[in-house]
Amino acid sequence: MSKQQVRDKVSTILFAMLSVCLLLLVWQLAVSGTTLGKMFPKPIPVFQKFVESLTVPIGQYTLVQHAVFSLYRVFVGFVSGAVVGVILGIAMGRIPVIDAIVKPIFNLIRPIPGVAWIPMAILWFGIGETTKYFIIFMGGFANVLLNTYAGARDVDKQLIGAAQMLGANRRQIFVHIVLPASVPYIFAGLQVSLSTSWMAVLAAEMVCAQEGVGYLITGGMNSGNTTQILVGMLAIGLIGLILATLMRYAEKRLCSWKIRGN
Amino acid sequence: MRTKTKYKLISLASVFVFLAFWEIITDVLQLLPSYVLPSPVKVLNCFITKLTTSSPDGSTLPVHILSSLKVSMASFLTAAVVGIPLGIAMAWYSSVDKLVKPIFDLLRPIPPIGWIPIMILVLGIGFWAKVAVIFVGALIPCVINSYTGIKQVNPVHMWVGQTFGGTRTQMLFMVAIPTALPVIFTGLKTALGISWMTLVAAELLASNNGLGYMIQVARTIGRADIIVMGMLVIGVVGLILSTILDFLENRYVKGRRP
Repeated sequence: MSKQQVRDKVSTILFAMLSVCLLLLVWQLAVSGTTLGKMFPKPIPVFQKFVESLTVPIGQYTLVQHAVFSLYRVFVGFVSGAVVGVILGIAMGRIPVIDAIVKPIFNLIRPIPGVAWIPMAILWFGIGETTKYFIIFMGGFANVLLNTYAGARDVDKQLIGAAQMLGANRRQIFVHIVLPASVPYIFAGLQVSLSTSWMAVLAAEMVCAQEGVGYLITGGMNSGNTTQILVGMLAIGLIGLILATLMRYAEKRLCSWKIRGN
Repeated sequence: MRTKTKYKLISLASVFVFLAFWEIITDVLQLLPSYVLPSPVKVLNCFITKLTTSSPDGSTLPVHILSSLKVSMASFLTAAVVGIPLGIAMAWYSSVDKLVKPIFDLLRPIPPIGWIPIMILVLGIGFWAKVAVIFVGALIPCVINSYTGIKQVNPVHMWVGQTFGGTRTQMLFMVAIPTALPVIFTGLKTALGISWMTLVAAELLASNNGLGYMIQVARTIGRADIIVMGMLVIGVVGLILSTILDFLENRYVKGRRP
Protein backbone atom coordinates (compact mmCIF):
# COMPACT_ATOMS: atom_id res chain seq x y z
CA MET A 1 0.00 0.00 0.00
CA SER A 2 1.22 3.45 -0.82
CA LYS A 3 1.35 6.25 1.71
CA GLN A 4 -1.70 7.87 0.13
CA GLN A 5 -3.78 4.67 0.52
CA VAL A 6 -2.72 4.26 4.14
CA ARG A 7 -3.72 7.85 4.87
CA ASP A 8 -7.08 7.26 3.14
CA LYS A 9 -7.77 4.16 5.15
CA VAL A 10 -6.90 5.81 8.45
CA SER A 11 -9.12 8.77 7.73
CA THR A 12 -12.00 6.46 6.75
CA ILE A 13 -11.71 4.60 10.05
CA LEU A 14 -11.43 7.85 12.03
CA PHE A 15 -14.48 9.32 10.31
CA ALA A 16 -16.44 6.10 10.92
CA MET A 17 -15.62 6.18 14.63
CA LEU A 18 -16.46 9.86 14.77
CA SER A 19 -19.85 9.39 13.15
CA VAL A 20 -20.84 6.41 15.30
CA CYS A 21 -19.77 8.33 18.42
CA LEU A 22 -21.83 11.30 17.23
CA LEU A 23 -24.85 9.06 16.73
CA LEU A 24 -24.53 7.62 20.23
CA LEU A 25 -23.99 11.09 21.68
CA VAL A 26 -27.12 12.43 19.97
CA TRP A 27 -29.04 9.42 21.25
CA GLN A 28 -27.71 9.97 24.78
CA LEU A 29 -28.53 13.70 24.73
CA ALA A 30 -31.95 13.19 23.15
CA VAL A 31 -33.11 10.96 26.00
CA SER A 32 -31.44 12.69 28.96
CA GLY A 33 -34.05 14.60 30.87
CA THR A 34 -36.55 14.92 28.01
CA THR A 35 -40.07 13.49 27.74
CA LEU A 36 -38.75 11.11 25.10
CA GLY A 37 -36.31 9.80 27.70
CA LYS A 38 -39.16 8.57 29.88
CA MET A 39 -39.82 5.71 27.46
CA PHE A 40 -36.60 5.59 25.48
CA PRO A 41 -33.54 4.05 27.18
CA LYS A 42 -29.99 5.34 26.96
CA PRO A 43 -27.53 3.52 24.67
CA ILE A 44 -25.44 1.87 27.39
CA PRO A 45 -28.31 0.04 29.14
CA VAL A 46 -29.39 -1.32 25.74
CA PHE A 47 -25.96 -2.82 25.08
CA GLN A 48 -25.81 -4.16 28.63
CA LYS A 49 -29.22 -5.77 28.18
CA PHE A 50 -28.12 -7.19 24.83
CA VAL A 51 -25.09 -8.92 26.35
CA GLU A 52 -27.12 -10.04 29.35
CA SER A 53 -29.89 -11.55 27.18
CA LEU A 54 -27.39 -13.84 25.50
CA THR A 55 -27.60 -15.97 28.64
CA VAL A 56 -30.62 -14.71 30.60
CA PRO A 57 -33.96 -15.61 28.96
CA ILE A 58 -36.46 -13.03 27.65
CA GLY A 59 -39.86 -14.69 27.87
CA GLN A 60 -39.08 -18.39 27.71
CA TYR A 61 -35.85 -18.32 25.75
CA THR A 62 -32.51 -16.53 25.60
CA LEU A 63 -31.69 -14.19 22.75
CA VAL A 64 -29.61 -16.87 21.06
CA GLN A 65 -32.49 -19.36 21.21
CA HIS A 66 -34.90 -16.78 19.78
CA ALA A 67 -32.46 -16.19 16.93
CA VAL A 68 -32.17 -19.93 16.29
CA PHE A 69 -35.97 -20.24 16.10
CA SER A 70 -36.16 -17.45 13.52
CA LEU A 71 -33.21 -18.73 11.52
CA TYR A 72 -34.65 -22.23 11.34
CA ARG A 73 -37.94 -20.86 9.97
CA VAL A 74 -36.09 -18.75 7.40
CA PHE A 75 -34.03 -21.79 6.46
CA VAL A 76 -37.07 -24.02 5.79
CA GLY A 77 -39.06 -21.34 3.95
CA PHE A 78 -36.12 -19.97 1.99
CA VAL A 79 -34.77 -23.35 0.87
CA SER A 80 -38.17 -24.63 -0.26
CA GLY A 81 -38.83 -21.33 -2.04
CA ALA A 82 -35.42 -21.47 -3.71
CA VAL A 83 -35.89 -25.08 -4.88
CA VAL A 84 -39.35 -24.41 -6.33
CA GLY A 85 -38.25 -21.08 -7.81
CA VAL A 86 -35.15 -22.49 -9.52
CA ILE A 87 -36.88 -25.57 -10.94
CA LEU A 88 -39.92 -23.66 -12.15
CA GLY A 89 -37.79 -20.77 -13.43
CA ILE A 90 -35.56 -23.01 -15.53
CA ALA A 91 -38.53 -25.00 -16.81
CA MET A 92 -40.31 -21.78 -17.81
CA GLY A 93 -37.18 -20.33 -19.34
CA ARG A 94 -36.38 -23.38 -21.46
CA ILE A 95 -39.77 -24.97 -22.30
CA PRO A 96 -42.20 -22.58 -24.04
CA VAL A 97 -45.31 -24.67 -23.25
CA ILE A 98 -44.65 -24.53 -19.50
CA ASP A 99 -43.92 -20.83 -19.83
CA ALA A 100 -47.27 -20.28 -21.55
CA ILE A 101 -49.13 -22.27 -18.91
CA VAL A 102 -47.51 -21.00 -15.72
CA LYS A 103 -46.71 -17.37 -16.54
CA PRO A 104 -50.24 -15.89 -16.51
CA ILE A 105 -51.03 -17.53 -13.17
CA PHE A 106 -47.67 -16.50 -11.75
CA ASN A 107 -48.24 -12.94 -12.92
CA LEU A 108 -51.50 -12.93 -11.02
CA ILE A 109 -49.82 -13.97 -7.76
CA ARG A 110 -46.49 -12.15 -8.09
CA PRO A 111 -47.56 -8.58 -7.26
CA ILE A 112 -49.09 -9.70 -3.94
CA PRO A 113 -46.43 -9.09 -1.25
CA GLY A 114 -45.51 -12.01 1.01
CA VAL A 115 -46.90 -10.26 4.08
CA ALA A 116 -50.35 -9.96 2.49
CA TRP A 117 -50.59 -13.76 2.68
CA ILE A 118 -50.49 -13.69 6.48
CA PRO A 119 -54.28 -13.57 7.13
CA MET A 120 -54.99 -16.24 4.51
CA ALA A 121 -52.17 -18.44 5.79
CA ILE A 122 -53.54 -18.21 9.33
CA LEU A 123 -56.99 -19.24 8.12
CA TRP A 124 -55.52 -22.20 6.23
CA PHE A 125 -52.86 -23.50 8.56
CA GLY A 126 -53.69 -22.03 11.97
CA ILE A 127 -50.95 -20.24 13.88
CA GLY A 128 -48.40 -23.05 13.87
CA GLU A 129 -45.07 -23.39 12.14
CA THR A 130 -46.58 -24.23 8.72
CA THR A 131 -48.02 -20.72 8.50
CA LYS A 132 -44.60 -19.18 8.99
CA TYR A 133 -42.95 -21.47 6.45
CA PHE A 134 -45.70 -20.67 3.97
CA ILE A 135 -45.36 -16.89 4.41
CA ILE A 136 -41.58 -17.02 4.03
CA PHE A 137 -41.95 -19.28 1.00
CA MET A 138 -44.39 -16.84 -0.60
CA GLY A 139 -42.10 -13.91 0.19
CA GLY A 140 -39.02 -15.54 -1.25
CA PHE A 141 -39.86 -17.72 -4.20
CA ALA A 142 -41.04 -15.10 -6.71
CA ASN A 143 -37.65 -13.36 -6.81
CA VAL A 144 -35.76 -16.59 -7.36
CA LEU A 145 -38.19 -17.64 -10.07
CA LEU A 146 -38.02 -14.32 -11.92
CA ASN A 147 -34.24 -14.20 -11.91
CA THR A 148 -33.78 -17.85 -12.84
CA TYR A 149 -36.28 -17.39 -15.65
CA ALA A 150 -34.36 -14.40 -17.00
CA GLY A 151 -31.10 -16.32 -16.71
CA ALA A 152 -32.39 -19.45 -18.43
CA ARG A 153 -33.86 -17.39 -21.27
CA ASP A 154 -30.81 -15.24 -21.82
CA VAL A 155 -28.41 -18.11 -22.45
CA ASP A 156 -26.19 -17.22 -25.38
CA LYS A 157 -27.69 -18.96 -28.44
CA GLN A 158 -24.25 -19.20 -30.07
CA LEU A 159 -22.97 -21.28 -27.18
CA ILE A 160 -25.86 -23.70 -27.52
CA GLY A 161 -25.37 -23.82 -31.30
CA ALA A 162 -21.66 -24.49 -30.89
CA ALA A 163 -22.33 -27.30 -28.43
CA GLN A 164 -24.92 -28.84 -30.74
CA MET A 165 -22.47 -28.73 -33.61
CA LEU A 166 -19.90 -30.54 -31.50
CA GLY A 167 -22.49 -33.25 -30.90
CA ALA A 168 -23.77 -32.50 -27.40
CA ASN A 169 -27.15 -33.98 -26.57
CA ARG A 170 -29.96 -32.08 -24.80
CA ARG A 171 -28.94 -33.26 -21.36
CA GLN A 172 -25.33 -32.22 -21.89
CA ILE A 173 -26.38 -28.82 -23.19
CA PHE A 174 -28.55 -28.36 -20.14
CA VAL A 175 -25.92 -29.42 -17.60
CA HIS A 176 -22.89 -27.80 -19.20
CA ILE A 177 -24.32 -24.64 -20.75
CA VAL A 178 -27.78 -23.63 -19.54
CA LEU A 179 -27.18 -24.33 -15.87
CA PRO A 180 -23.80 -22.58 -15.49
CA ALA A 181 -25.05 -19.63 -17.53
CA SER A 182 -28.02 -19.22 -15.19
CA VAL A 183 -26.06 -19.46 -11.93
CA PRO A 184 -25.18 -15.74 -11.62
CA TYR A 185 -28.83 -14.84 -12.19
CA ILE A 186 -29.98 -17.44 -9.69
CA PHE A 187 -27.62 -15.97 -7.13
CA ALA A 188 -28.90 -12.48 -7.73
CA GLY A 189 -32.39 -13.86 -7.07
CA LEU A 190 -31.30 -15.82 -3.99
CA GLN A 191 -29.71 -12.72 -2.50
CA VAL A 192 -32.86 -10.64 -2.81
CA SER A 193 -34.97 -13.58 -1.72
CA LEU A 194 -32.92 -14.15 1.43
CA SER A 195 -33.44 -10.58 2.56
CA THR A 196 -37.18 -10.70 1.81
CA SER A 197 -37.36 -14.03 3.67
CA TRP A 198 -35.70 -12.43 6.66
CA MET A 199 -38.28 -9.64 6.50
CA ALA A 200 -41.15 -12.11 6.07
CA VAL A 201 -40.13 -14.14 9.12
CA LEU A 202 -40.20 -10.95 11.18
CA ALA A 203 -43.67 -10.09 9.93
CA ALA A 204 -44.92 -13.62 10.55
CA GLU A 205 -43.47 -13.71 14.05
CA MET A 206 -44.83 -10.30 14.85
CA VAL A 207 -48.36 -11.42 13.98
CA CYS A 208 -48.37 -14.88 15.51
CA ALA A 209 -45.54 -16.40 17.53
CA GLN A 210 -44.35 -17.00 21.07
CA GLU A 211 -40.68 -17.14 20.17
CA GLY A 212 -38.21 -15.73 17.65
CA VAL A 213 -36.74 -12.26 17.19
CA GLY A 214 -39.96 -10.90 15.66
CA TYR A 215 -41.83 -11.91 18.81
CA LEU A 216 -39.12 -10.19 20.85
CA ILE A 217 -39.88 -6.77 19.39
CA THR A 218 -43.70 -7.09 19.40
CA GLY A 219 -43.49 -8.47 22.92
CA GLY A 220 -41.52 -5.37 23.86
CA MET A 221 -44.12 -3.18 22.15
CA ASN A 222 -47.03 -4.83 23.95
CA SER A 223 -45.42 -4.49 27.36
CA GLY A 224 -43.98 -1.03 26.64
CA ASN A 225 -40.45 -2.34 27.11
CA THR A 226 -38.39 -0.19 24.75
CA THR A 227 -35.08 -1.73 25.82
CA GLN A 228 -36.32 -5.14 24.68
CA ILE A 229 -37.38 -3.70 21.31
CA LEU A 230 -33.98 -2.12 20.76
CA VAL A 231 -32.17 -5.30 21.81
CA GLY A 232 -34.35 -7.20 19.33
CA MET A 233 -33.61 -4.70 16.55
CA LEU A 234 -29.91 -4.95 17.25
CA ALA A 235 -30.11 -8.74 16.96
CA ILE A 236 -32.21 -8.50 13.78
CA GLY A 237 -29.72 -6.13 12.17
CA LEU A 238 -26.73 -8.28 13.13
CA ILE A 239 -28.31 -11.47 11.79
CA GLY A 240 -29.40 -9.71 8.59
CA LEU A 241 -25.85 -8.50 8.11
CA ILE A 242 -24.40 -11.98 8.68
CA LEU A 243 -26.86 -13.57 6.23
CA ALA A 244 -26.07 -11.01 3.52
CA THR A 245 -22.32 -11.44 4.04
CA LEU A 246 -22.57 -15.25 3.84
CA MET A 247 -24.57 -14.99 0.64
CA ARG A 248 -22.04 -12.64 -0.93
CA TYR A 249 -19.23 -15.00 0.06
CA ALA A 250 -21.03 -17.98 -1.47
CA GLU A 251 -21.58 -16.00 -4.65
CA LYS A 252 -17.90 -15.13 -4.82
CA ARG A 253 -16.94 -18.80 -4.50
CA LEU A 254 -19.57 -20.27 -6.83
CA CYS A 255 -19.61 -17.79 -9.66
CA SER A 256 -16.20 -16.23 -9.56
CA TRP A 257 -16.32 -15.56 -13.29
CA LYS A 258 -19.14 -13.09 -13.02
CA ILE A 259 -19.42 -10.92 -9.97
CA ARG A 260 -22.11 -8.31 -10.07
CA GLY A 261 -21.28 -4.79 -8.94
CA ASN A 262 -21.64 -3.57 -5.38
CA MET B 1 -46.02 -15.78 -35.81
CA ARG B 2 -48.24 -18.87 -35.67
CA THR B 3 -46.35 -20.40 -32.76
CA LYS B 4 -46.81 -17.12 -30.92
CA THR B 5 -50.59 -17.31 -31.35
CA LYS B 6 -50.49 -20.92 -30.20
CA TYR B 7 -48.73 -19.99 -26.95
CA LYS B 8 -51.12 -17.07 -26.42
CA LEU B 9 -53.99 -19.52 -26.68
CA ILE B 10 -52.31 -21.91 -24.24
CA SER B 11 -51.91 -19.01 -21.77
CA LEU B 12 -55.56 -18.09 -22.10
CA ALA B 13 -56.60 -21.72 -21.65
CA SER B 14 -54.36 -21.95 -18.60
CA VAL B 15 -56.05 -19.00 -16.87
CA PHE B 16 -59.44 -20.37 -17.82
CA VAL B 17 -58.64 -23.86 -16.49
CA PHE B 18 -57.23 -22.33 -13.30
CA LEU B 19 -60.42 -20.34 -12.66
CA ALA B 20 -62.67 -23.23 -13.65
CA PHE B 21 -60.81 -25.62 -11.36
CA TRP B 22 -61.07 -23.09 -8.52
CA GLU B 23 -64.82 -22.68 -9.16
CA ILE B 24 -65.41 -26.44 -9.36
CA ILE B 25 -63.65 -27.38 -6.14
CA THR B 26 -65.45 -24.59 -4.25
CA ASP B 27 -68.94 -23.86 -5.52
CA VAL B 28 -69.74 -26.96 -7.57
CA LEU B 29 -68.26 -29.85 -5.60
CA GLN B 30 -67.96 -27.95 -2.29
CA LEU B 31 -64.74 -29.76 -1.42
CA LEU B 32 -63.59 -26.75 0.58
CA PRO B 33 -65.87 -24.66 2.77
CA SER B 34 -66.03 -20.98 1.81
CA TYR B 35 -64.22 -19.86 4.97
CA VAL B 36 -61.20 -21.79 3.73
CA LEU B 37 -61.36 -20.92 0.06
CA PRO B 38 -64.15 -18.78 -1.39
CA SER B 39 -65.11 -19.34 -5.02
CA PRO B 40 -64.02 -16.81 -7.66
CA VAL B 41 -67.67 -15.80 -8.10
CA LYS B 42 -67.94 -15.05 -4.36
CA VAL B 43 -64.73 -13.01 -4.49
CA LEU B 44 -66.06 -10.97 -7.40
CA ASN B 45 -69.40 -10.45 -5.63
CA CYS B 46 -67.58 -9.40 -2.50
CA PHE B 47 -65.53 -6.90 -4.51
CA ILE B 48 -68.69 -5.33 -5.97
CA THR B 49 -70.57 -5.09 -2.67
CA LYS B 50 -67.47 -3.80 -0.83
CA LEU B 51 -67.24 -0.88 -3.25
CA THR B 52 -70.24 0.68 -1.53
CA THR B 53 -70.80 -1.06 1.83
CA SER B 54 -68.65 -0.33 4.83
CA SER B 55 -69.30 -3.43 6.96
CA PRO B 56 -67.56 -5.31 8.55
CA ASP B 57 -64.53 -3.06 9.01
CA GLY B 58 -66.00 0.42 8.95
CA SER B 59 -64.99 1.73 5.53
CA THR B 60 -65.73 1.04 1.90
CA LEU B 61 -63.05 -0.36 -0.37
CA PRO B 62 -62.23 2.94 -2.12
CA VAL B 63 -61.73 4.60 1.27
CA HIS B 64 -59.32 1.84 2.33
CA ILE B 65 -57.42 2.11 -0.95
CA LEU B 66 -57.16 5.89 -0.66
CA SER B 67 -55.93 5.79 2.90
CA SER B 68 -53.29 3.18 2.01
CA LEU B 69 -52.19 5.16 -1.02
CA LYS B 70 -51.97 8.37 0.97
CA VAL B 71 -49.62 6.87 3.56
CA SER B 72 -47.43 4.98 1.12
CA MET B 73 -47.10 7.85 -1.35
CA ALA B 74 -46.35 10.41 1.37
CA SER B 75 -43.52 8.29 2.72
CA PHE B 76 -42.24 7.15 -0.67
CA LEU B 77 -42.00 10.72 -1.96
CA THR B 78 -40.33 11.99 1.22
CA ALA B 79 -37.83 9.13 1.02
CA ALA B 80 -37.07 9.97 -2.60
CA VAL B 81 -36.69 13.68 -1.89
CA VAL B 82 -34.36 13.05 1.06
CA GLY B 83 -32.62 9.89 -0.17
CA ILE B 84 -31.59 10.80 -3.69
CA PRO B 85 -29.78 14.07 -2.80
CA LEU B 86 -28.19 12.32 0.20
CA GLY B 87 -26.92 9.47 -1.98
CA ILE B 88 -25.60 11.92 -4.55
CA ALA B 89 -23.90 14.02 -1.86
CA MET B 90 -22.32 10.88 -0.38
CA ALA B 91 -20.89 9.89 -3.74
CA TRP B 92 -19.77 13.41 -4.66
CA TYR B 93 -18.18 14.63 -1.41
CA SER B 94 -15.87 12.13 0.25
CA SER B 95 -16.23 13.71 3.69
CA VAL B 96 -20.02 13.24 3.60
CA ASP B 97 -19.43 9.68 2.43
CA LYS B 98 -17.06 8.88 5.29
CA LEU B 99 -19.34 10.49 7.86
CA VAL B 100 -22.72 9.11 6.79
CA LYS B 101 -21.85 5.70 5.36
CA PRO B 102 -20.98 4.01 8.71
CA ILE B 103 -24.33 5.01 10.25
CA PHE B 104 -26.03 3.90 7.10
CA ASP B 105 -24.29 0.52 7.07
CA LEU B 106 -25.36 0.12 10.69
CA LEU B 107 -29.05 0.72 10.00
CA ARG B 108 -29.24 -0.94 6.59
CA PRO B 109 -29.56 -4.59 7.63
CA ILE B 110 -32.63 -3.92 9.80
CA PRO B 111 -35.69 -4.68 7.66
CA PRO B 112 -38.29 -1.87 7.63
CA ILE B 113 -40.81 -4.12 9.38
CA GLY B 114 -38.43 -4.29 12.34
CA TRP B 115 -38.95 -0.56 12.90
CA ILE B 116 -42.69 -0.92 13.43
CA PRO B 117 -42.77 -1.54 17.22
CA ILE B 118 -40.39 1.27 18.12
CA MET B 119 -42.15 3.76 15.86
CA ILE B 120 -45.55 2.83 17.27
CA LEU B 121 -44.25 3.25 20.80
CA VAL B 122 -42.72 6.64 20.08
CA LEU B 123 -45.26 8.05 17.61
CA GLY B 124 -48.43 6.16 18.52
CA ILE B 125 -50.75 4.17 16.26
CA GLY B 126 -51.53 6.48 13.41
CA PHE B 127 -50.47 8.22 10.27
CA TRP B 128 -47.02 9.30 11.46
CA ALA B 129 -45.85 5.96 12.79
CA LYS B 130 -46.65 4.30 9.46
CA VAL B 131 -45.04 7.11 7.47
CA ALA B 132 -41.89 6.89 9.58
CA VAL B 133 -41.58 3.11 9.17
CA ILE B 134 -42.08 3.20 5.40
CA PHE B 135 -39.78 6.20 5.08
CA VAL B 136 -36.92 4.28 6.71
CA GLY B 137 -37.55 1.30 4.42
CA ALA B 138 -37.80 3.29 1.19
CA LEU B 139 -34.90 5.61 2.02
CA ILE B 140 -32.31 2.83 1.84
CA PRO B 141 -32.65 1.82 -1.85
CA CYS B 142 -32.95 5.51 -2.82
CA VAL B 143 -29.63 6.34 -1.15
CA ILE B 144 -27.78 3.20 -2.24
CA ASN B 145 -28.77 3.45 -5.87
CA SER B 146 -28.02 7.18 -6.17
CA TYR B 147 -24.68 6.48 -4.52
CA THR B 148 -23.70 3.60 -6.82
CA GLY B 149 -25.11 5.44 -9.83
CA ILE B 150 -22.82 8.42 -9.31
CA LYS B 151 -19.84 6.21 -8.43
CA GLN B 152 -20.29 4.31 -11.71
CA VAL B 153 -19.79 7.38 -13.87
CA ASN B 154 -17.10 6.73 -16.44
CA PRO B 155 -14.03 8.79 -15.43
CA VAL B 156 -13.28 9.45 -19.11
CA HIS B 157 -16.52 11.39 -19.40
CA MET B 158 -15.50 13.46 -16.39
CA TRP B 159 -12.08 14.18 -17.89
CA VAL B 160 -13.70 15.27 -21.13
CA GLY B 161 -15.88 17.67 -19.12
CA GLN B 162 -12.84 18.99 -17.29
CA THR B 163 -10.88 19.44 -20.49
CA PHE B 164 -13.67 21.60 -21.85
CA GLY B 165 -13.51 23.72 -18.72
CA GLY B 166 -16.57 22.44 -16.87
CA THR B 167 -16.85 23.51 -13.25
CA ARG B 168 -17.53 20.93 -10.57
CA THR B 169 -21.20 21.92 -10.34
CA GLN B 170 -21.58 21.69 -14.10
CA MET B 171 -19.98 18.25 -14.07
CA LEU B 172 -22.36 17.08 -11.39
CA PHE B 173 -25.50 18.23 -13.17
CA MET B 174 -24.47 17.66 -16.76
CA VAL B 175 -22.37 14.49 -16.55
CA ALA B 176 -22.78 12.61 -13.29
CA ILE B 177 -26.51 12.89 -12.57
CA PRO B 178 -27.71 12.10 -16.11
CA THR B 179 -25.43 9.05 -16.14
CA ALA B 180 -26.74 7.90 -12.79
CA LEU B 181 -30.41 8.44 -13.61
CA PRO B 182 -31.23 4.90 -14.80
CA VAL B 183 -29.67 3.42 -11.65
CA ILE B 184 -31.53 5.94 -9.50
CA PHE B 185 -34.78 4.91 -11.15
CA THR B 186 -34.11 1.26 -10.39
CA GLY B 187 -33.69 2.34 -6.77
CA LEU B 188 -37.00 4.19 -6.89
CA LYS B 189 -38.73 1.05 -8.17
CA THR B 190 -37.28 -1.04 -5.35
CA ALA B 191 -38.29 1.67 -2.89
CA LEU B 192 -41.83 1.69 -4.23
CA GLY B 193 -42.15 -2.10 -3.84
CA ILE B 194 -40.79 -1.87 -0.29
CA SER B 195 -43.16 1.00 0.58
CA TRP B 196 -46.19 -0.93 -0.54
CA MET B 197 -45.17 -4.13 1.21
CA THR B 198 -44.18 -2.41 4.46
CA LEU B 199 -47.43 -0.49 4.43
CA VAL B 200 -49.43 -3.72 4.29
CA ALA B 201 -47.37 -5.14 7.15
CA ALA B 202 -47.84 -1.99 9.24
CA GLU B 203 -51.57 -2.01 8.63
CA LEU B 204 -51.81 -5.69 9.54
CA LEU B 205 -50.11 -5.06 12.85
CA ALA B 206 -51.56 -1.79 14.03
CA SER B 207 -54.01 0.37 12.20
CA ASN B 208 -57.66 1.29 11.95
CA ASN B 209 -57.94 1.71 8.21
CA GLY B 210 -56.28 0.67 4.97
CA LEU B 211 -56.16 -2.50 2.93
CA GLY B 212 -53.94 -4.41 5.37
CA TYR B 213 -56.36 -3.59 8.17
CA MET B 214 -59.27 -4.75 6.02
CA ILE B 215 -57.84 -8.23 5.45
CA GLN B 216 -56.77 -8.49 9.07
CA VAL B 217 -60.33 -7.77 10.28
CA ALA B 218 -61.66 -10.23 7.68
CA ARG B 219 -59.41 -12.91 9.16
CA THR B 220 -60.65 -12.44 12.71
CA ILE B 221 -64.25 -12.95 11.57
CA GLY B 222 -63.42 -15.70 9.06
CA ARG B 223 -64.47 -13.84 5.90
CA ALA B 224 -62.07 -15.47 3.42
CA ASP B 225 -63.78 -13.79 0.47
CA ILE B 226 -62.72 -10.36 1.74
CA ILE B 227 -59.17 -11.61 2.36
CA VAL B 228 -58.75 -12.97 -1.17
CA MET B 229 -60.36 -9.88 -2.67
CA GLY B 230 -58.13 -7.64 -0.52
CA MET B 231 -54.99 -9.54 -1.55
CA LEU B 232 -55.88 -9.17 -5.21
CA VAL B 233 -56.58 -5.44 -4.75
CA ILE B 234 -53.22 -5.04 -2.97
CA GLY B 235 -51.54 -6.82 -5.87
CA VAL B 236 -53.30 -4.78 -8.54
CA VAL B 237 -52.66 -1.42 -6.86
CA GLY B 238 -48.98 -2.35 -6.43
CA LEU B 239 -48.83 -3.29 -10.09
CA ILE B 240 -50.44 0.00 -11.17
CA LEU B 241 -47.96 2.00 -9.08
CA SER B 242 -44.96 0.23 -10.59
CA THR B 243 -46.41 0.61 -14.09
CA ILE B 244 -46.67 4.37 -13.58
CA LEU B 245 -43.02 4.45 -12.53
CA ASP B 246 -42.02 2.36 -15.57
CA PHE B 247 -43.87 4.79 -17.77
CA LEU B 248 -42.08 7.76 -16.23
CA GLU B 249 -38.76 6.01 -16.68
CA ASN B 250 -39.36 5.28 -20.35
CA ARG B 251 -40.49 8.82 -20.86
CA TYR B 252 -37.79 10.77 -19.05
CA VAL B 253 -34.71 8.61 -18.66
CA LYS B 254 -32.42 8.57 -21.63
CA GLY B 255 -29.79 5.98 -22.24
CA ARG B 256 -29.24 2.35 -21.52
CA ARG B 257 -30.91 0.60 -18.64
CA PRO B 258 -28.45 -0.97 -16.20
